[in-house]
Amino acid sequence: MLYTQTAARLFGVAVRIVGQREEAEEVLQESFVAVWQRAGDYDAARGSATGWLTTIVRHCAIDHVRRRAGRPESRSAPEDLLLKFAAGERTDRGAELSVLQRCLGELDEQPRRAVLLAYVYGFTREEIATGCAVPVGTIKSWIRRSIERLKRCLDG
Amino acid sequence: MRYDDPELRELLAAEYVLGTMPSRSRRRFERLIAGDPAHARVVGAWADRLVPLDTATPAEEPPARVWRMVEARIDRAAAPPAPAHGWFGSLEFWRGLAVAAGAAAAALIIYVAAFPGRTVLPVPTVVAVLADQSGDPSWIAVAGPQRGEVSVSAVRAQAEDTRHSFELWGITGGAPRPLGLLRPQSGSVAIIPAAQLPPPGDLLAVSLEPPEGSSTGLPTGPVLSRGKVLLTPP
Repeated sequence: MLYTQTAARLFGVAVRIVGQREEAEEVLQESFVAVWQRAGDYDAARGSATGWLTTIVRHCAIDHVRRRAGRPESRSAPEDLLLKFAAGERTDRGAELSVLQRCLGELDEQPRRAVLLAYVYGFTREEIATGCAVPVGTIKSWIRRSIERLKRCLDG
Repeated sequence: MRYDDPELRELLAAEYVLGTMPSRSRRRFERLIAGDPAHARVVGAWADRLVPLDTATPAEEPPARVWRMVEARIDRAAAPPAPAHGWFGSLEFWRGLAVAAGAAAAALIIYVAAFPGRTVLPVPTVVAVLADQSGDPSWIAVAGPQRGEVSVSAVRAQAEDTRHSFELWGITGGAPRPLGLLRPQSGSVAIIPAAQLPPPGDLLAVSLEPPEGSSTGLPTGPVLSRGKVLLTPP
């Protein structure tokens, strides 16, 4: 059942970003209230419902983490997730995922890590900069360049 | 900042989806794209490019209490304290729905259906919401009660007036076709065959007519409300 999977997947995304279930429940709750309030903004011509819903959940989760001081220590690196995908985990977007993986693979290692830390775990530019021991300006230009390269690769 | 530079628009859209914008900038950006459909499409395209990463994230079943909390918050936000006919008859509910109508119905269906194992009230399939000139919903068309039928009813009671009637019209390509007289009492329903409805995107309208309806086959009185057909009823 598509809808059942949607809620469970969105909850999985919230757990992934905030790092624990109780807070992820709050995030999911906020997200669905936001979906209700902003349903009028959704337009199928502007992208898939999954993309729209996921963006709302990710942003709620990111705001939640930003409001809270610090984030949980124990989390696997995003590369682990990528390895898991590479190991052949089946998803309904398997084909799109493998194209995305290939394009991410074409990025240099550190910029790729920056993009994944941002998307997968909702890290801020500052947090990524601290983790990579580089200035925030470097992270901004890594992300900017990665975005341009990803678009060329994905659309090409 | 010049927002018309295509590269900048692309970058902002991608950073928005990626989540690297500071929260305040993100909210400002959301207001910006709310009035810029072309830019909103760029954002949607980035969400769709990156969302495959989420499909590989392990799914987790959310506990049922999440749903109950959402429901409580929505009830508080959307429902008047004691609606006369439950949520179905609540003007605030339909007003909210009119705002949310259109493609957004898809998102609401996902929202409502997202929580399994829970008995929900049957959600009507909204075929059209007809609003008056000030934008307030006055009539609603929903699928049913039988397949191939559409029920049209007043969202709020219209003023009783024996010298006039309310006539429903389907307007396809600018040409009105009479669909029947409506009952203005709250809770009364006019049932019309779904096949007579104009296709999605075309209009339903209600005009004020003599008690027995227009005798010309065209609206003779003022058009009081109108609304787009949102979907083909089942």
